[in-house]
Amino acid sequence: MMGDPDSSTESQSSYEGSTTPPPLSGHPPLHRMATVGNVPQNGKSKSFDIVETYQRLLHEDPDLTMPVAAIEALIELLVQSRAVTVYETLDLVKTQSDYLKSRIPNSISLSAGTDLFQRYMISSLKPSSTGNFETVRQHLLSNGRLFVSRAKAGRERIANYGRHFVRDGSVVLTHGGSRVIGALLGKAAEASASGGNVRFKVIYVMNDARSSESKAVVSSLRAKGVPVATIPEGAVGYAMGKVNLVIVGAEGVVENGGIISRLGTYQIALLAKAAGKPFYVAAESHKFVRLYPLGQYDLGIDQEVIEFKTEDETELTQEEQKFTNMTPKVTERSEYFSTSPLGAPKPNRAVDAVDFTPPALVSALITESGVLTPSAVSEELISVWY
Amino acid sequence: MPSSNPPTAAGPPKPDPPAAQSDAPKLSGAELKKQKQAEKAARRAQAIQGKQAAAPAIAAPAQSTEAPKGPKVQQQKRRGSTLAARDIPTRSQKAVAAPAPVEPKKEDKTVEFFRHLYKPRMTSIAGASKDVHPAVLALGLQMSNYTICGSCARLVATLQAFKRVIESYTTPPGNSLTRHLTSHVLSPQIEYLASCRPLSISMGNAIRWLKLEISKVDINTPDTTAKADLCEAIDVFIRERVTFADQVIASSAAERIKDGDVILTYAKSSIVQKSLVKAHEDGKKFRVIVVDSRPLHEGKHLAAALADLGIEVKYCLINGLSHNIQDATKVLLGAHAMMSNGRLFSRIGTALVAMEANEADKPVLVLCETIKFTERVALDSIVHNEIAPADELIIPGGALENWADMKKLQLCNPMYDVTPAEYIQMIVTESGNVPPTSVPVLHRLGNESQ
Repeated sequence: MMGDPDSSTESQSSYEGSTTPPPLSGHPPLHRMATVGNVPQNGKSKSFDIVETYQRLLHEDPDLTMPVAAIEALIELLVQSRAVTVYETLDLVKTQSDYLKSRIPNSISLSAGTDLFQRYMISSLKPSSTGNFETVRQHLLSNGRLFVSRAKAGRERIANYGRHFVRDGSVVLTHGGSRVIGALLGKAAEASASGGNVRFKVIYVMNDARSSESKAVVSSLRAKGVPVATIPEGAVGYAMGKVNLVIVGAEGVVENGGIISRLGTYQIALLAKAAGKPFYVAAESHKFVRLYPLGQYDLGIDQEVIEFKTEDETELTQEEQKFTNMTPKVTERSEYFSTSPLGAPKPNRAVDAVDFTPPALVSALITESGVLTPSAVSEELISVWY
Repeated sequence: MPSSNPPTAAGPPKPDPPAAQSDAPKLSGAELKKQKQAEKAARRAQAIQGKQAAAPAIAAPAQSTEAPKGPKVQQQKRRGSTLAARDIPTRSQKAVAAPAPVEPKKEDKTVEFFRHLYKPRMTSIAGASKDVHPAVLALGLQMSNYTICGSCARLVATLQAFKRVIESYTTPPGNSLTRHLTSHVLSPQIEYLASCRPLSISMGNAIRWLKLEISKVDINTPDTTAKADLCEAIDVFIRERVTFADQVIASSAAERIKDGDVILTYAKSSIVQKSLVKAHEDGKKFRVIVVDSRPLHEGKHLAAALADLGIEVKYCLINGLSHNIQDATKVLLGAHAMMSNGRLFSRIGTALVAMEANEADKPVLVLCETIKFTERVALDSIVHNEIAPADELIIPGGALENWADMKKLQLCNPMYDVTPAEYIQMIVTESGNVPPTSVPVLHRLGNESQ
């Protein structure tokens, strides 16, 4: 489970050694919400809106994950800020990340990034570290950039680790639009230096609500010569008998080694467990998030998945649904470009909803620092945060 | 059967003549005669066995006894005192004083499976070493009769008593505190406490820490400074590892309690109580189900304390568990210790509650300070446990009141059980919430890095 020694240990050791308790995970506490109101008062932040920056970054680079976008947005904030003391800087970053979290529905994934960055700042801005504030700040900025570039490279390394799980003749079941999975399966399909290309088949679980995303993944795999079968979500149990392994992506990896991922992941994991098939999760380690859900309804976000109604659904909504589906638009992360930036974040609709897959159902996590068991995630987090 | 005497007693239990005589006036002449015969027979039988068993057993403790009246007197005295000290189940007098000419051999009431765990409990200070400090003497008795009960309470009380010991200590000439204190002063205290009730895991951790702390004292430090430093260190230890840890755990556990929750808990854990009280103070609206069991009925106190605060409490015994677990949304459990394989060592019955909760798909949270973590592993509740006196199980006036006389009846009263790690979703500690698999990591960070 050891990765390339220098990059992984280097990035971790920078967080160690601080005694300050970590910020609380999940939603920002209420009193923090109150300070959010102060944000626009700052003269400089009038020109700089973190939410806008975050969304622009995500929009510009489709390969960017949410935590990395959050970190990049915070770095831009630091570039623009004129804070001159350590505490001013820390406070600025804290309020701005809380503000960002409060503005984005489903902030779980991005909170992994903001928490990590704050942790990193606290340890590198310690008074004991050398030099004056300005050099420390410059150091922080350059290191932050390094982090972002490394995070992007991480995907490649995950693909390298993960491709060995895909054996010749195996059938892989996957779903969702995870870029890591795309890279991993793509890598597995490519001819390797050691010998020939691996012939494997993919069963892709279609998501009706995000059919364009599903289609994109399927066609890119087919373009690489991988035979892909598409099945509806209802057919997962039926298909499980033909499957050798399941690989999915994740929005966040929580403290106990469970994952938070696209709605439907949990049931696939349950079915895989019942059929005795290994269930792998490919995720970058910057998606490790300080959150410890005890169940599906303990994620700290509101999701409008189960709604009891007595009125019938109007036909109009279905028509609308069809219409939006036909519209050729980037629907992939439409929820993050939602309008009304100053309005309260909308609860997750069923389309963007996530569920929690407990660690007992996860066989292993493929990260850029190696293949980890779910319990190793907790150890990794302890070593980063203490 | 030659092995019919409990192997744990130093000498065979001999009926105490003065005590037997005090009962005598109530008996008729014939009965008195029979009783005397029986006593005589018993004494004879025991004298034979005593010669074999007592001699090696007495050799060790006799060295520390006070009266230098010659070896023979001392031995006899010693035997008498251990006899008074050991609370061997009522069989000694009742069996012998029974009207029928009973055969002196009594049935062995030790449950074979747990034989290695039977330890006689010290219930009076008679026979304690003269080196034991009065504060520790009192503490030992309080522990043995459950006045001070619970892993953390015992830990704090022990450290406090040891502080008194250290305060009243003066290094004898020609010795250094570092070398002398642990072996000559602390050890008898620890030995005595262990004879009152087996030391808890947290006490073991703390004592190990204290010994290390003493060994670190510079040999040139003057006595008064060294003692003050040690007392200060103990205070800091209690504050950091228990008081502050409890606060952190209580608030992070209270954070987990949401409006509308129904919290099920088992028996009484001070940290669970603190967490529930904290959640209540935070204005959370929740209900509590306290599941309790015989013989200690610790949950009654918890239920009463919570109800006093205005929390809605339901109290049931463990036989109502499978029904009540359906209403619960979360299960909070206290711990006696967390083993390194992620298993929970806690009051007997906890494993049942956790299993039932797991079956009903309710999350189980364990609240535990890292001082209770141990590097030991437990696979079952048999190898490591504590057997309490079986008489605690007897309801006075109930059918089993004379269980000691009933043939082929054995009572077993273990104190703890082991809950498998799979049943535990989360352990709330002062250094964060972790899954059971991370116990060794936190133990390494918390208890071994000192």
